[in-house]
Amino acid sequence: MIETLYSLNILDTSLAFLISFVLGILFGIALEKAGFGSSRRLSGIFYFRDMAVLKVMFTALITAMLGLMYAQALGLIKIESIYLMPTIYVAQIVGGLIFGIGFVMSGWCPGTAAVGIASGKFDALICIVGAILGSILFNETFHLIKPLYTAGDQGVLFLFDSFHLSKGLVAFLFTLVGIGAFWGVEKIEQKVTGKSEYLGSQFLKTFSFVLFVFALGLMFISGDPSKSVSLCPFLKQTQPISLSSEQDLLQRVEEAEDHIEPEELSDRLVSGSQGLLLVDVRPQNEYSRFHIKGAVNILLPDLSVQLTAYKNQGMVVLYSNGMTHPAQARDSLYRQGFNNVYLLTDGLDGFVDRCLKPVSLRSEPVPAEFTQKINEWREYFLGGTEVQNNVEELSKLTFKVPALIDTQWLSENHTKPNVKILDLRSQPEYNTSHIPGSLAISPESFRGVVKGVPSVLLPAAILSQQVSLLRITPDDFVVLVYGEKPHDATLVGMVFERLGHKKYGVMNGGFLKWNKEGKSVDTDLPDINDSVYLSNDNDNVTVDYKIVLQSVKNKDAVIIDVRPEDYYLGKKSDEARAGHIPGAINRPYTEDIAKEELYSVFKPTEELAKDYQIIIPNKDSKVIVHCRTGHQASQTYFVLKNLLGYTNVYWYDAGWTEWAARKELPIEKEM
Amino acid sequence: MKNPKPYMNPYIAGVFLGLVLLASFLVLGAGLGASSGMARIAAAFESSIAKSHTLSSEYFGKWGSNPLNYYLVFMFVGTILGGLFSALSSSRISFQLEKGKSASAFLRIFFALSGGILIGYASRLAQGCTSGQALTGGALLLTGSIVFLICLFAGGYLAAYFVRRQWND
Repeated sequence: MIETLYSLNILDTSLAFLISFVLGILFGIALEKAGFGSSRRLSGIFYFRDMAVLKVMFTALITAMLGLMYAQALGLIKIESIYLMPTIYVAQIVGGLIFGIGFVMSGWCPGTAAVGIASGKFDALICIVGAILGSILFNETFHLIKPLYTAGDQGVLFLFDSFHLSKGLVAFLFTLVGIGAFWGVEKIEQKVTGKSEYLGSQFLKTFSFVLFVFALGLMFISGDPSKSVSLCPFLKQTQPISLSSEQDLLQRVEEAEDHIEPEELSDRLVSGSQGLLLVDVRPQNEYSRFHIKGAVNILLPDLSVQLTAYKNQGMVVLYSNGMTHPAQARDSLYRQGFNNVYLLTDGLDGFVDRCLKPVSLRSEPVPAEFTQKINEWREYFLGGTEVQNNVEELSKLTFKVPALIDTQWLSENHTKPNVKILDLRSQPEYNTSHIPGSLAISPESFRGVVKGVPSVLLPAAILSQQVSLLRITPDDFVVLVYGEKPHDATLVGMVFERLGHKKYGVMNGGFLKWNKEGKSVDTDLPDINDSVYLSNDNDNVTVDYKIVLQSVKNKDAVIIDVRPEDYYLGKKSDEARAGHIPGAINRPYTEDIAKEELYSVFKPTEELAKDYQIIIPNKDSKVIVHCRTGHQASQTYFVLKNLLGYTNVYWYDAGWTEWAARKELPIEKEM
Repeated sequence: MKNPKPYMNPYIAGVFLGLVLLASFLVLGAGLGASSGMARIAAAFESSIAKSHTLSSEYFGKWGSNPLNYYLVFMFVGTILGGLFSALSSSRISFQLEKGKSASAFLRIFFALSGGILIGYASRLAQGCTSGQALTGGALLLTGSIVFLICLFAGGYLAAYFVRRQWND
């Protein structure tokens, strides 16, 4: 199986550049040899005097298409290893029409004009200059044309899926159309110019026959077309051998091997069974109202992508309210080679009815053993609260806690199974005394060099793995406990922001306050069950320098530089350049914190609200916060967004470190 | 100068081009392209005039401060060199403004320039040109690419009548 540079994600390396360059040379030779270094010849197709463009283009298209299909049928390559352009109807229709007009006017297209320049044609050079201007014009008018650019977006769409035909059949028909076109245009040429070089020639007959045979052979090699109608045969080929997969699938359905009973699921979840991924495929709002503890939410269209990492690894269980959607999704995934996808029998409704319905409400007699089980499950899935009879009431159980947690609340709730406490102090401090059940983690472990920028928060995929190791699930309420620096907690808060995990809070005063108040501590390591925290990049608050630069230019955001004043003014500097982002205002992060005798706390919300009211026009104003590396600014972000309710706050994580080093970015010194 | 060699049989040239495209699929995992490389050059050009403006623009901005660092730029340069190599070896290089004998040079330059602008604009809108969209996407049997291909010819045939004078002999 060939791994392409695209599938290895190394299209941006010098190796890829070299290969592209060589392919470009061959491309140029092919175009030139075909006679495409002449605009007269190229435009001939539009006046029926020289149909070479059609002959060359369709032959090339059919050759590459057939070649690629044979390569797939022989298991040389998977279609997923090739970059596939999305179908965007409106953009491609309008773009195609305009392009065609430009083509006939100039007599060139970009590739042929490149060859035209090499052949000494001035009109090719003029055309390229025009095309460069046209590209710049597109960039300058992008904001106007943007709706058109994405209008009719279908994602990746194959012709055979559009027509619900098999791939082999469409390729065959396509080849037939091509052969017909070749004969047709030869006839046209004969009519218009009086001569046709290939019409009726032995060459064209042989050529047509060879194409026909190859296309026909494809239908046999990629299976009987009538059987694979409406499937996606491209994906079918990725399955392990021992085909007749439809039969296998039906066999499994018959034997109900593809189901898991709610009772079995409950047992597995309660016992912390590893390698089980429970997926809720309902819409997000339903999921957030209520879902089975431990389930992740993936919508149907995203399933195959999101589950790639779990393909034939462990067990994936899908559920919805009923059975239809998960069953269809399971079938589709099965055809894509997933052999480990199961359905929850009777769906969520069945689960609630069979596992969570209190014994007192059941009409049938329940044996004592099972009663105990039900109570166990209810304890686990409903958090040990009082009897709830239906799903609507279950939803009330979701935690509603403030972003800033006081020690009192935590001392009452820290033993609850879905409260997870992270202690952000140093390891020795944690080892000698910590809140019972808390885990030690250094805030720095969530940061690193990303694309050359130091000290930025790691990508969501890595963060979610780290969070998995901390046995945190998407349903947990995470409490962040700092030592001396509140911004340690808010930095880790950004981890959860990036993962879209809204249920987290910072314990005001940190461990030192807890300790001073004499609340319980111990030195034990908690027992850990692994959890699966699916990678979800839900970060819509981190911004990069381009977005900041845009705001600097448009003056559409309040940029708050939270570094100490000397750094803001450029009197002190640890970076490539000193000063600040033009237009930024200085509000050091230390201003938001009050020092008590032994510990630091956030200043009272009313006081903070008053301060920021002066700086920021209103609650919906766009605000960008930054510091040197994003650490201190995370605290201002937390204050604005989570404590004061500003809705439009962004975090420039890379901060002054990056801004100062990118010399093309503007700066200001002093005020 | 020697007489230019005749063009290659278009069907054989097509097979050759198709095999190059197939090689590109199998090795790069992406098809051939020309307009993207050209647009990158446009971005570099705009950037050399107005750096921070280009960087903060929504479309070119996402290509970063070094837009030329992209595989299709290298392919575009290769295409020119490949064309040069082939044109040299076939004695087909001639410095000229290609047009109909009785058409004015001004008319031809005007059409070449404005046609070029339309091509540059449309290939960004459709995310590709004859190479990257019609040929590559067509060979992959992508619906949108074939729609683009059909519309390309439709647009060309609709406009052909109005610009025919540039080829009058």
